[in-house]
Amino acid sequence: MAILDKPVQAPQSTLRPPAKKGNFVVKTITSTDHKVIGNLYMVTSFAFFAIAGLMALIMRAELTRPGLQFVSNEQYNQLFTMHGTLMLFLFATSLFAGFANAIMPLQIGSPDVSFPRLNMVSYWLYLFGGIIVMLGFLTPGGAAGFGWFAYAPLSNVINSPNVGSDLWILGLTMSGMASILGAVNFITTIFTMRAPGMTMFRMPIFTWNVLLTSVLVLMAFPVLAAAMLMLESDRKFGSVVFDASNGGAILWQHLFWFFGHPEVYILALPFFGIATEILPVFSRKPIFGYKGLVFATIAIAGLSVAVWAHHMYVTGAVNLPFFAFTTMLIAVPTGVKFFNWIGTMWGGSVSFETPMLWTIGFLTTFLFGGLTGIILAAPPLDFHVSDSYFVVAHFHYVVFGTVVFAMFAGFYFWWPKFTGKMLDERLGKLHFWLVFFGFHITFLVQHWLGVEGMPRRYADYLASDGFTTLNMVSTVGSIVLGASTFVFLWNIYKTHKYAPMVNCDDPWGWGASLEWATSCPPPRHNFIEIPRIRSERPAFDLHHPEVAAMEHGDRSQAFETAAGGAQGKGH
Amino acid sequence: MIVGGKLFAYGTALYVGLAIVYWFMSGDVVGTTALALTGGLAFLISFYVLFTAKRVGPLPEDNELALISDIDPDYGFFSPYSWWPFAIGLAVAIFVLGFVFARWMMVFGLFAIMMAIYGLIFEYYRGEFVK
Repeated sequence: MAILDKPVQAPQSTLRPPAKKGNFVVKTITSTDHKVIGNLYMVTSFAFFAIAGLMALIMRAELTRPGLQFVSNEQYNQLFTMHGTLMLFLFATSLFAGFANAIMPLQIGSPDVSFPRLNMVSYWLYLFGGIIVMLGFLTPGGAAGFGWFAYAPLSNVINSPNVGSDLWILGLTMSGMASILGAVNFITTIFTMRAPGMTMFRMPIFTWNVLLTSVLVLMAFPVLAAAMLMLESDRKFGSVVFDASNGGAILWQHLFWFFGHPEVYILALPFFGIATEILPVFSRKPIFGYKGLVFATIAIAGLSVAVWAHHMYVTGAVNLPFFAFTTMLIAVPTGVKFFNWIGTMWGGSVSFETPMLWTIGFLTTFLFGGLTGIILAAPPLDFHVSDSYFVVAHFHYVVFGTVVFAMFAGFYFWWPKFTGKMLDERLGKLHFWLVFFGFHITFLVQHWLGVEGMPRRYADYLASDGFTTLNMVSTVGSIVLGASTFVFLWNIYKTHKYAPMVNCDDPWGWGASLEWATSCPPPRHNFIEIPRIRSERPAFDLHHPEVAAMEHGDRSQAFETAAGGAQGKGH
Repeated sequence: MIVGGKLFAYGTALYVGLAIVYWFMSGDVVGTTALALTGGLAFLISFYVLFTAKRVGPLPEDNELALISDIDPDYGFFSPYSWWPFAIGLAVAIFVLGFVFARWMMVFGLFAIMMAIYGLIFEYYRGEFVK
């Protein structure tokens, strides 16, 4: 709808500041280009990922052997709190915004997002919010230490009097606002700025997933913002919303998880989308069951709002049958997705370039996380392993499996679209195997640690507990995992320095969606020309007209003759 | 746009239905309220989108046989660059830091937020852009 009311056009000469060398910084911070903003999001969230990863390494080092070697209990609390916060809010959520910004407008054939300046407002709110959260480390009381879900009596001003907690609450409120504004922007863009012929059921699955993720952001983040501001009002103004005498502990848990569970799908869905984009390209087949995938995603998005209290089984204050049923139900559309992913590869001419390798890494890792998820969905089983390392292993398989594996898949896949250069394949493969083994060594053993009874969030354990061996294995794995990042950074540097520019639209050869029908990187408003859109694979139809003619040529020809080109029936 | 509007309409039905079922199964006020309000949010959006879809009529992006040339060549105005988003971010940060560390800073933060929002909204209606 941005196109209906528009202000007066500016004269051409005043549109750009005079081009000077070295004004890169000014150009970047004043940019309204969705590709630049997407890159900013991705770089910033990767930085938060690295910082949070370092915190994880410190925690792993601490847990290697019994006894406190590196940090105090208090510092350990701050570390796991900030690790969770950074990874979920400042890395994964904003990485979604990064990929959505960088790719989604290209995929629907639009010159930019609906509200380019609002897009940049979101980025600045996210960055400054993130910095404010991190500022806690510089204050005398340290950063927030009440766990990333800030359970009520612990997060009040008596139990957590440090100013770092206030910074945590308000910084996250800021970055939450950024997510909401970003979601509004994405939904509006997808509803109103698709290229002619790009009907909703021709949109790439990644774009569908961006749309549904944005819907979930709209449902979930306002609840979080409200809860956070009430908590801050409790802390600063002495209100008693989350006071224990009013049942505030359970109230907080309800509100937090009403945000928190859709948040898990906010993290997962866009990365499912990335995997779905990559599989057909390297299987040389169209997506198997396009509409099935769309409806499965809609079902996941719809149901995810009704499963929140499975995080609260052990409180004894929630309705177990309702939440166990909905939680198990949501496994069905997820299974449909797996079926379609495998169906896409089945009988295809599969090749294992790095993006495909990462995607298969995602499939295996996330499958494990999904299966332990079904175990945890059953209350009788959950009671035994709740708040143990089993849960830690479960959600790392889910979140690392989707976010990190699919993130690297997306990086290797779309790097030519971001920068105009292809990342090095050999280093990419080394990087993949290091991450794959590093990750599984670190987290697989934590399932057994949890079953043996090691609780999460403890800085220490006794030698007589018998947790030492598995903890040492886990720490070794985490070192491999941490070291793999250097391979990636070296790959970026090497690519930047020595790789040739890509001079074709589609370096992978079988790209399906519209981003492969423009140059690498695309020009300022994305397209010099857009091909005619007649299927969900417009770029493929453009580059392989013989296949397109074979598949739907006769039909569309007949249509167009009958309809006289543009007079077809609208939806 | 109709597909998008319907998406939210189905969402409304789902969330209201879930709220009713949940209320009778658990009697929990918090969750029921949250589900019902989620349904209300979905209803607001679906109503607005469907209403607007009816008002603007069929669009070329919803036409399976549209040509790229069917779209209005005067596609819209895209701000080429802007300082105001940065200003808004900075102003909100000042406001928040003021709230935590020194309340008097909130006054300046609030003023900065108002000026930055004014600047962003009227960026292309001032000075040389006035008709």
